[in-house]
Amino acid sequence: MRQAYALVALAVVTACEPPPVSAGADRRQNTKSTRIEGTVVVSSAARGRVVVLLFDANRPPPPTGTGRPLTFDIVPRDELFGAVRDFDTGPFTAPFAFSLVNPGQYQVRAFLDANDDFIPWYGVTNEVNAGDVGGAALDSISRAPLTIDIPASETESPPPALDVPVSIGDTARVPVDRPAFEVAAAGTSAPITEVSLQGAPVLVDLRVKPVVDTLVKQPAPVFLARFIDDNNDGLPDDANGDGVPEMWPRVVVRKLSDAAGANPLADENDLDRNGLLDETGVDYEHLNPQTMAAIPADGKPDLVVLAAGFNAMELAPQLLDAMGRVKPMPTPLTRLPLVIRPLALDATNSRQPVPLKGVPDGRYAITVIQQTGQTWRVPNELQPGLAGRVGLTEVTSQSFIVRVGPK
Amino acid sequence: MTTSRWARLALAAALVWSQATLADPRVEARRHFKTGMFLIGEGKYDEAIAELLEAYAIKPHPNVLFNVARAHEAAGRPAEALAFYRRYLDANPPDAASVRETVAKLEPLVPAKAEPLPAVEPVKPVDPKSRPVTPALDEATLAKVAALTERLEKAVEKAERRADDEDALPAGKTAPGEPAAAPVEDFSVPYEETVVAAARRSQSSLEAPNATTVITGDEIRASGLTTIPELLRRVPGAEVMTMGWSSANLSIRGFNQRINNKVLVLIDGRPEYQDFLGVTLWPVLPIGVEEIERIEVIRGPAGALYGANAMLGVVNIITRAPGTGPRAEATGFFGNGNLGGGSFVASGGEAVKYRASVGYQQADKFSRDFAEGRPDVVSAVPEPNLGLRSARANLTAFYAFNKNVSLAASGGVNRLFTEVYGIGLLRNYFLDGTGGYAKVDFTGGPVKVRFFWNHLNAVAGPQYAVRGQRSLETTLDSNVFDAEALFQQAFELGGRHQLSIGVSGRLKRLAWSYIGPLTQEIHGAAFVQDEWKLLSSLSIVGSFRIDRHPLILDGQPGIVPSPRLSVVFTPFEGNAFRGMVASAFRQPTFLESYVDLPVPAPGAPGASVLTQGSRRLVPESLLSFELGYRGEAARLGLSWDVAGYVNFVRNLIVLSAVTPLSGNEAFDARSQSFLVGRSAFENDPGVYRALGGEVGVTWNATRGLDLRLSTALQTIQSVENRAVCGPCSQAPAVKVNGGFVYRTPVNLDLSADVSYVSGTTWVEREPAASDPTSILNLQNPLPGFTVINARVAYRLLNDRVTVAVVGQQLGPAHQEHPFGNTINRRVFAQLSVQP
Repeated sequence: MRQAYALVALAVVTACEPPPVSAGADRRQNTKSTRIEGTVVVSSAARGRVVVLLFDANRPPPPTGTGRPLTFDIVPRDELFGAVRDFDTGPFTAPFAFSLVNPGQYQVRAFLDANDDFIPWYGVTNEVNAGDVGGAALDSISRAPLTIDIPASETESPPPALDVPVSIGDTARVPVDRPAFEVAAAGTSAPITEVSLQGAPVLVDLRVKPVVDTLVKQPAPVFLARFIDDNNDGLPDDANGDGVPEMWPRVVVRKLSDAAGANPLADENDLDRNGLLDETGVDYEHLNPQTMAAIPADGKPDLVVLAAGFNAMELAPQLLDAMGRVKPMPTPLTRLPLVIRPLALDATNSRQPVPLKGVPDGRYAITVIQQTGQTWRVPNELQPGLAGRVGLTEVTSQSFIVRVGPK
Repeated sequence: MTTSRWARLALAAALVWSQATLADPRVEARRHFKTGMFLIGEGKYDEAIAELLEAYAIKPHPNVLFNVARAHEAAGRPAEALAFYRRYLDANPPDAASVRETVAKLEPLVPAKAEPLPAVEPVKPVDPKSRPVTPALDEATLAKVAALTERLEKAVEKAERRADDEDALPAGKTAPGEPAAAPVEDFSVPYEETVVAAARRSQSSLEAPNATTVITGDEIRASGLTTIPELLRRVPGAEVMTMGWSSANLSIRGFNQRINNKVLVLIDGRPEYQDFLGVTLWPVLPIGVEEIERIEVIRGPAGALYGANAMLGVVNIITRAPGTGPRAEATGFFGNGNLGGGSFVASGGEAVKYRASVGYQQADKFSRDFAEGRPDVVSAVPEPNLGLRSARANLTAFYAFNKNVSLAASGGVNRLFTEVYGIGLLRNYFLDGTGGYAKVDFTGGPVKVRFFWNHLNAVAGPQYAVRGQRSLETTLDSNVFDAEALFQQAFELGGRHQLSIGVSGRLKRLAWSYIGPLTQEIHGAAFVQDEWKLLSSLSIVGSFRIDRHPLILDGQPGIVPSPRLSVVFTPFEGNAFRGMVASAFRQPTFLESYVDLPVPAPGAPGASVLTQGSRRLVPESLLSFELGYRGEAARLGLSWDVAGYVNFVRNLIVLSAVTPLSGNEAFDARSQSFLVGRSAFENDPGVYRALGGEVGVTWNATRGLDLRLSTALQTIQSVENRAVCGPCSQAPAVKVNGGFVYRTPVNLDLSADVSYVSGTTWVEREPAASDPTSILNLQNPLPGFTVINARVAYRLLNDRVTVAVVGQQLGPAHQEHPFGNTINRRVFAQLSVQP
């Protein structure tokens, strides 16, 4: 009889056993991810939806880095503000969350899209404009961007990061539009769409270009120029010792991909346009900076840029005060003289770019990075042939490229 | 005790015994019948009569009586011949007039004086070498014999019911679209395997214009399985893809997918195809396996008869006729994985015959995708382990006004919770709701009229919710109304013709938040079929159907034709060669035509992928060429089926790649998310060629033992030689199924079946690991897998009680789709009682 009871008990226990957890071959189940969630706190009279952006802490966004958001969340306007009066400055709160977050270190940035013109998919619409209100998750003591550490775990999902506060306030209201520009030959005002880099440096002018259509709203772009004086000695810094004062804005002239089937705006070796070098791609011979001896290609894709900078000597009168000291506040400019040298660098390590043996043939794009973190780049989606496909108004000058070698 | 009483008891005992030790009674009866007929031809009448009577004992059939009478007559025993002819006439056969003439000739030959007792003893079914006693009879004894025979017939019928072997009853002859008919005598070839699905009338499998497979009720009960898809693994060419305990996709000859939509499943002729989604939700079926008379499977296109969606095949589930089978049967089961349930089926009635059933079943999932307590993914249902819970009821009633006019009504309801595995970016969904149907069938001579209503009302949504991500929970209310009129008539014109003409109309109404406001479509169809028996060994079957679809011509109403031409050549008895060319199509579902749904991009809570339907889709189409050979050696209990085919599939409806949207469409106010792009249903411009063959053999090896082995080989190629071809790599190249059923003489039943499916590679849509807003088609390899099911049962109290242990999925744990559950074993105890 006892055996019978035991059998029945065993059967009941077996029957009630819960199903095993098995992720099988589904890569979306085979994850050990977690979530980051918190609250957006808006203290502003501005209204609009809030865009919360998640960045890799090691690849922060401009101006401190060139990283692109890993993902984003939207906090709807109604969820934040409901039916409150327009001039009420809050604070208003609403939750946000990022799920399926893998172990790593992250930073959270956010902004209130007061212009209702943010579209994440196009370079010309995926940043803040004048009137938007910025914000971030900040360390409560240092007020520096908060780094959220998600530790890896072999056995289970990492713990969630909860109660992450994201503050958005009028103190971070964006003062200017993005530095939308077009390129003209040096000393002229007529825009050009291409310049050829041969054996000598090329001089061009970047001129602000207002763009206003149904989707892109940059009515008053401006360059906020300033020599960098981090040591406050009144003189422009030269951190890399190249004899050229460092300044805002910064400029990057990067090689575009000419791979068959690639997006014409994609950078070389970043065909998926995620801001990271692809695992495989084009590789070039390098030069040893000390010996200038050739270093054979190492099989790793390179991030190719051209040596370029703004003509500091020409800008100095506008960026220095009467005493010849660095003006503490940025100077709004409508023109920046740019020098592009026939020297290519591999900027995979942006702090220590390595010269290449030659200047790779192909197309190059110019990106201007403002001290506010706002950027503009040509060529972009406004160029003829692309604009129509995404519902934008064509702007011929926005197809500008620097060309090396034959067409 | 008199000799006749002993004879009756012996007969009844023998009948019960014989029923109790047969694997498939029809197969065994057929073997005895064929042997008897062979012996008649050899002039060995006594041995022939013994064989025939044994066949009769296993499964009564009036034609056997006729042949027994003929044997007696040929052996020079007119009295015995007369007795059996009269019994045959009692069944009111179609050739009664000619038989009466024979009787009239024999009557003068029978002496008027009393003679020894009649041949009521002959049934010694256990020993085929036994000889019938054949004494002469006088008139008075003959009268007694007639009465006795009648009583014995009833005993036979009772034994038959107890054993639940109903193959000879006309329920098995029920055509799709007809109700399950009440019992009347069957005068077809005795013990022939019949199908109705292939030509919408009862016919021998040998005559069927398509490749067909029949799974009998005996097989189903012997398997112990409680789910229909699991039973269908034994169909050559069928691909059963189990995603979860309650979610399986069935395809035939390739082209399987999540939410498979190319096989039409019918219950007594009523489609179970869910038009809104294009899938058969197996748990919604309002019947249990214990109510199934048999399952007929057409392997190949059947659009010429059934219209849309009978593209790769048809599964016709035929339930037991009202009033037949056990008067009552209660079944319960209990096993691991929280598996449990039971059912009660009652059948009876006099003028109005009925079959009523209720059932309940529940089971946990095979496996969970995510553990509890995860910080980012949580269960969206209150019982996260639950895979199925179903409570159902069904009632079928039949009334015959006379021999030619009858009315049947049926209805069922199923309150259930089940799983459904979605397509594209979607994964496993729950569906919590109520399904139901009502159906009326009227038969008036050659005209049959059918009306049905299919209903499903449910809440559905992803089973696992990603925290911070918008929910996709939805409600749906689907109603399908269908009416069909069918005229069937036989006539002579250069041979025998069986003409079928039908018209039908269907109204579909769907309220579903994924597609917008209440949407409805009106469909119509007309079809004609003629089976022309040109020669005794040659038949030509021509079928043609047109279906009217409201969106088929670039968004406008249009007509889709479905022709079929088949030639069946039977050069020798029991051997049929078949050639067929046919086309079929699958119409776009509501989902494919109307869906307008922003699907959250996994990992990017602010982004969605807009999934949209298209009203300009053309139907998926299939052009099939098939050669087949079906044969049998009935005396050996052996039958086989060979089929080879070439199918050309065009216009597959697929989800397009995600294409960017214009800036004006980038933000979706409904979901408050930015749209990564649009993925729309579209017709694949590619053409796929499927080439394959199937071989199946069944062998009634010895008394009580049936063996079965089949294999299917196939290759699917892109005519354009595409580098990545989902339909090509997703179709298993090899499938093998084998099994046996052994009913031992000591009341112990054993059965097992093993299925092997070779490895595949599934091309499925996934977000890129580095960028969740980048949606790509990725290849997911799936290794081959083996499924083993087995049952051990013991019968008690004259088979009124059966206890069994059933093992399902006893093979190694595996997946049948990269995104499906990890399938693991279920073992459960079964108890069946027939009070």
